[in-house]
Amino acid sequence: MSMLFPKVGRKQPLLRLGWWLMVILLSLGVLTHLVPFYIMIVTSITPAQDTLSTTPVLWPLHPTLAAWKLVIQWAQNSGSGALLAGSAGEPFWVYFWNSFFMTSVTLLISLPVTSMAAYATSKLLRGRRARWTFLFFIGTLMIPLAVLLIPMLFLTLNFPFALPGASIPNLPGTDQPFPTLSLYDTPWAIIVPGIFNAYNYLIFKGYFDTIPDSVLQAARVDGGSEFNIFRRIVFPMSVPVYSVVAWIQFYAVWDSFLWPQLVIQSNDKAPTALAIYTVMNNFINSGVMDRATALSQSAAMRSALAAGLSWNGLMVLALLQTFPIFIMFILCREYLLRGVRIQGLK
Amino acid sequence: MSEPLTEVAVPASASEAEQPAQAQRLRRRSRLETWLFLLPAALFQLVWGWYPLLMAFLISFTDAQPMLPSHFTGLASYLRVWNDPLVGQAFRVTFFYGSMLVALTFIFPLLIAIFLMELPPRLMRWMMILWFLPISVIANSILWRYLYNEQYGLLEYIATEILHLPHQPFLNDPHQVLFWLVFPAVVVAGPGVAGLAYMAALQGIPRSYFEAAEIEGAGFWRKIWTVSLPRLRPVIAVMLVYGIIQGLQDYTWPQILTGGQPEGASRTVMLYLFSYIQNQRYADATALSIYLFLVIFAIVVLFRTFFKEDPDA
Repeated sequence: MSMLFPKVGRKQPLLRLGWWLMVILLSLGVLTHLVPFYIMIVTSITPAQDTLSTTPVLWPLHPTLAAWKLVIQWAQNSGSGALLAGSAGEPFWVYFWNSFFMTSVTLLISLPVTSMAAYATSKLLRGRRARWTFLFFIGTLMIPLAVLLIPMLFLTLNFPFALPGASIPNLPGTDQPFPTLSLYDTPWAIIVPGIFNAYNYLIFKGYFDTIPDSVLQAARVDGGSEFNIFRRIVFPMSVPVYSVVAWIQFYAVWDSFLWPQLVIQSNDKAPTALAIYTVMNNFINSGVMDRATALSQSAAMRSALAAGLSWNGLMVLALLQTFPIFIMFILCREYLLRGVRIQGLK
Repeated sequence: MSEPLTEVAVPASASEAEQPAQAQRLRRRSRLETWLFLLPAALFQLVWGWYPLLMAFLISFTDAQPMLPSHFTGLASYLRVWNDPLVGQAFRVTFFYGSMLVALTFIFPLLIAIFLMELPPRLMRWMMILWFLPISVIANSILWRYLYNEQYGLLEYIATEILHLPHQPFLNDPHQVLFWLVFPAVVVAGPGVAGLAYMAALQGIPRSYFEAAEIEGAGFWRKIWTVSLPRLRPVIAVMLVYGIIQGLQDYTWPQILTGGQPEGASRTVMLYLFSYIQNQRYADATALSIYLFLVIFAIVVLFRTFFKEDPDA
């Protein structure tokens, strides 16, 4: 795909040097890009005391799986794992399951809902109606999340009212307050607001716009209902765009932090992102991150360090938070890297 | 267009009379289907998109008490937020942080995308997998907290042991904290979504443009400057607006790395908004968010007027 280097005369020493220079630059860049992963892995298999040493451990001299074991034990909520669990409250698989549940349910509802709306705007509506529907769906695209934060918080508390609890109107004719539904502190508080996303809609619409009408016309002549056409003809053609949107959505929901922090209160409902943040703060407050306190000879500190309670434990958690994103990336990489043209963004 | 013609050409018959009725039925059915396609998404967009937006403006004009019925208070919350000295600081911090982030990192995805396209397909595939390898923001921020530790972090080691500098405060110095917050994004810059968009757009440039430039004697950089960049202009514009909006709204990164410390020198608007919410000052928080919205809106409008779409792109 080479475009910048001339096709003729590539063998010239100067050009060859330039080409190699570019490749070396790219490779060095990739290496620095991968450094965080490397440090995370090395730290996670380093003994707790060594992670606090003033000489950073860049090569695992005394590799140990203590921290990994600890997190697995934490998962079973027994032994010294209870120590870690004490700092977050629940066995780790609870948080992992919470994250997984939220993310997968969001994806399962969001992809069909968003893509069907995009398809209808792109192929079933014409003229002014199509334009207004399009504006209705993408109108919130440039609105910062900050503006919607508080009304959405009230909405999860007192659905269907985006108002504080005391301001909910009474049922007409009575002095009973209007019945409301609370999504607050349930996984649905994260799932439901994430279902429709204007950005994903735009990606779908851009892709469906490139499907020629003649393909659909042929199916219509054969007497297929619109839904069948969508399911049997459009969907198989659109697997790439589905995988791209699934990837974007997965990353966003799995790694979301601000919104869960607002709407999730109880410890056993928290996603991993929140749990890791809590563990980190507890570690810092307990003093295992402070060199002087941690290396003092107090018995509690010694047992904590022996169990792997320091940066190595945190790095295990950080890696666990990253793995699902990795897996999703590997699953979607074919289509992601082939590069769907994100149209309609102009 | 062909309708009147057929009407004239073929005399009406029983089957002809049937056809419009059937077509109408089909059209009605397909209209119903269209609505069914649109309805779920429209409901979600209405309830979780437009309705909260409208309510945000309403709530900002009330006192939004958590326990007592709310009262309309006019611009009181706007004035309170305006007079809060910490809000001014938060906006200054946000501007510095956002503009530094965009200024120092915006170029990388573009360069990486342009360079990657030069590689032979096999090498490009592998390079892309490595370049686009994602990392969790949460995980990354915890890692950098470790690296920035003032007692035993890697950066402290580099500064004191390798460069023989005095003890460095990094995130603890109010004058440096914003730079060190942006620093990781510069060092381990990846192409991200912007890089994907650039590569897709680069693929769409006809090869003949580059060939023509080559015949005219354009070299490596000249081709980037006169062919690649102008063709990428619309995508660059979109990514720049997005970058600015994201930079001004960043929450996770400063929250986990510094939590706004020291002395509020890294407390962005989003962090301050969050502390408002925690103190149950909902009306003030909404007013603050609308200030942020106005700022972002102004930037987008300014951008649109100065960065006109290329007429021949």
